[in-house]
Amino acid sequence: MTADFSRRSLLKTAAALAGGGLLVGCAPGASRSTANLNYWHLLTGGDGTVMAGLVDAVNAANLGFHTTQTVLAWGPPYYTKLAMASAGGRAPDVAIMHASRIAGYAPGGLLEPWDLDLLAEAGLRESDFPARVWEKCQYDGKLYAIALDTHPFVLYYNTEHAEKAGVTEALHTLKSPEEFTEVATKLQKVTGKHGLSYGYLGDGAQMWRLWYTLYKQTGADMTLVPGQPAKVDKDAAVKTLSFVQSLLNDTIASRSGDGGTATSEFLHGESGMFFGGVWELPVLKEAKLPVDAVPIPTMFGTQAAYADSHTFVLPRQSKVSPERRKHVYTMVAELLKRSVKWAGGGHIPAYQPVATSAEYQALKPQSNYAGIPDYVNYDPDVWFSGAGSDFQNYFAENVQNVFLGSGDPAAGFDGFVARLNKLLDRPQPV
Amino acid sequence: MSTAIDTPPATTEEVTAQGKARAKRGETLAGWAFAAPFAVLFGLFLVVPALYGLYLSFTGETLTGAGSGLVGFSNYADALRDPDMWKSLGNTLWFTALSTIPLVVLSLALALLVNLGLPGRWLWRLSFFLPYLLASTVVVMFWSWMYNPTLGLINGVLAKFGAAPVAWLQDPKVAMISVVITTLWWTIGFNFLLYLAALQNIPEQQFEAAALDGAGKWRQLFSIVIPQLAPTTALLVTLQILASLKVFDQIYMLTNGGPAGTTRSIVQYIYESGFTGYRFGYSSAISYLFFALIVLVSLAQYKLINRRSVA
Repeated sequence: MTADFSRRSLLKTAAALAGGGLLVGCAPGASRSTANLNYWHLLTGGDGTVMAGLVDAVNAANLGFHTTQTVLAWGPPYYTKLAMASAGGRAPDVAIMHASRIAGYAPGGLLEPWDLDLLAEAGLRESDFPARVWEKCQYDGKLYAIALDTHPFVLYYNTEHAEKAGVTEALHTLKSPEEFTEVATKLQKVTGKHGLSYGYLGDGAQMWRLWYTLYKQTGADMTLVPGQPAKVDKDAAVKTLSFVQSLLNDTIASRSGDGGTATSEFLHGESGMFFGGVWELPVLKEAKLPVDAVPIPTMFGTQAAYADSHTFVLPRQSKVSPERRKHVYTMVAELLKRSVKWAGGGHIPAYQPVATSAEYQALKPQSNYAGIPDYVNYDPDVWFSGAGSDFQNYFAENVQNVFLGSGDPAAGFDGFVARLNKLLDRPQPV
Repeated sequence: MSTAIDTPPATTEEVTAQGKARAKRGETLAGWAFAAPFAVLFGLFLVVPALYGLYLSFTGETLTGAGSGLVGFSNYADALRDPDMWKSLGNTLWFTALSTIPLVVLSLALALLVNLGLPGRWLWRLSFFLPYLLASTVVVMFWSWMYNPTLGLINGVLAKFGAAPVAWLQDPKVAMISVVITTLWWTIGFNFLLYLAALQNIPEQQFEAAALDGAGKWRQLFSIVIPQLAPTTALLVTLQILASLKVFDQIYMLTNGGPAGTTRSIVQYIYESGFTGYRFGYSSAISYLFFALIVLVSLAQYKLINRRSVA
């Protein structure tokens, strides 16, 4: 009898505890101390390790607050959760967002602007950031994001192969698509397999990054304003798409390379060049590959590069604690001051005192492409564009068969523009 | 007061009838009480959201609350003119056709094989059924590695035979087939088990009688086994079509609807319209169109099965 009773009471207590725990878990952070900051980001792998190290370093500095990071899966899962949390007003105190996504979040009131005076108090000024990067962080005249980095799409090359093919000099000076093709052909003769590795199959982001770099190099623009048809330069688009198509001919580069294949091919020395984001650098360096990186050569007349930036944003909270907000400014400033560590992952630090420091300038090959922020191009500003958005999928859906060699560049591009027009025609949902 | 007196005394029959009614009412109450936990949850998490979704489908509701307000049938009209909606609906129907047939036919074949009385029957049963118990994430992890074009097991084996590598998940022509193969491996166990149970329920006498009449194994299969399994087959086809129409998780994780949207299912398109495209109203409208389709399919099947059982 007693045994039964105590078992029951034990179960009851356990149930009560479990229920209580659930409730506490669900409760909004009202009772949370103002010294505890919640920080969400989508950085995993090598980037995640570095970010965790930076957060720990700032916590260890005993500045009167403690930051807890929550890491969520990159791309749509992250941005969906962040948007839902902001729409419900229970967002984290600070979060990472790609600069290209601000246009989709700021207009709907999902973000709160940074206060320039409080920033100055924390030691951050406009002059501490590259002009184009600072500008991208604005929406409607207000500053919605503080950039941590710029991470462009660049050209890696195998220095040994380049030396053997005699193209090292040309890689830094070439000025036309014909010269690029020539360099790639020479490298192909050295490797015996491919001259260039480029993984894009099934990955709209990769297709977009390369093509948009080249498209912007022609001097063309892409302006997307809801309620108006897309303003694009079709001739430039067809010219650059045809050029990409001409490279993917199974000799210069694999016609159907996916990300994994392209990386492994370049890592095994089976190709001389590799189109990739700067975030690929740690993997390439770890493999002890004789590798160097340069901005994608200007082949169509205008210096241009595609990039995105990781930025800090303030997601909308229904109740803002001024003390905690103040800690957030300090936390971001302290993180930026330590961002030379972040550059180890290939990224270009946005914070100029770090970017111009001797320590950063000594990093190779990072400093080769450190000038990109001056001529960087982000995704067109519109609510549906940006990293991990459906925009790049729409590009892939219409252009992948052009890259694969089976589709006509003009028809593929027309399909993409038609898709954009359909979205622009709809009322903006944010 | 006078009425009470005027009323003739109730007959015994009436008394018992009243008692029965009272008892019945008590029973009904108890029944409701027992059903209440489920009913409340069902109402809260299914009926209410479904009705709210119906309401949303007539509004321009978005994630941020911008553009709310009734818009009549314009979401529905938009959806019917949306080529991506039609494409993902087409993909879903294609997946349903590709998956339902082998999931029914192959599971029957497996059940027949196991029922032959091979040695180590428990092992066969276990290995056919086990994948069904795995979570979709685990299944996708396995298969996305096996499908990897350079490092994957499948292309590795193909290379041993001198075959060219296949981009299982990246080639628009192959991706849906890969998704179907994974689904087949994952979910066939359930159908297999139902068939096996049904097979073991066929009375032994029928086989004995057939054998006496000189019917061979094949004759028995077509004249006894398959007709006896008809109700199971009807059930499985119904369940399978409904399950395949709802396909989402393995596709979302294996290909994310790619390459070039060739594997995007309608449920994924509903998710994208609502959660990454922020248009809750529009996405609700598509889900109600899809709901209408499912109701039609279910009614058609119900009619078919009914006619068969009458005949």
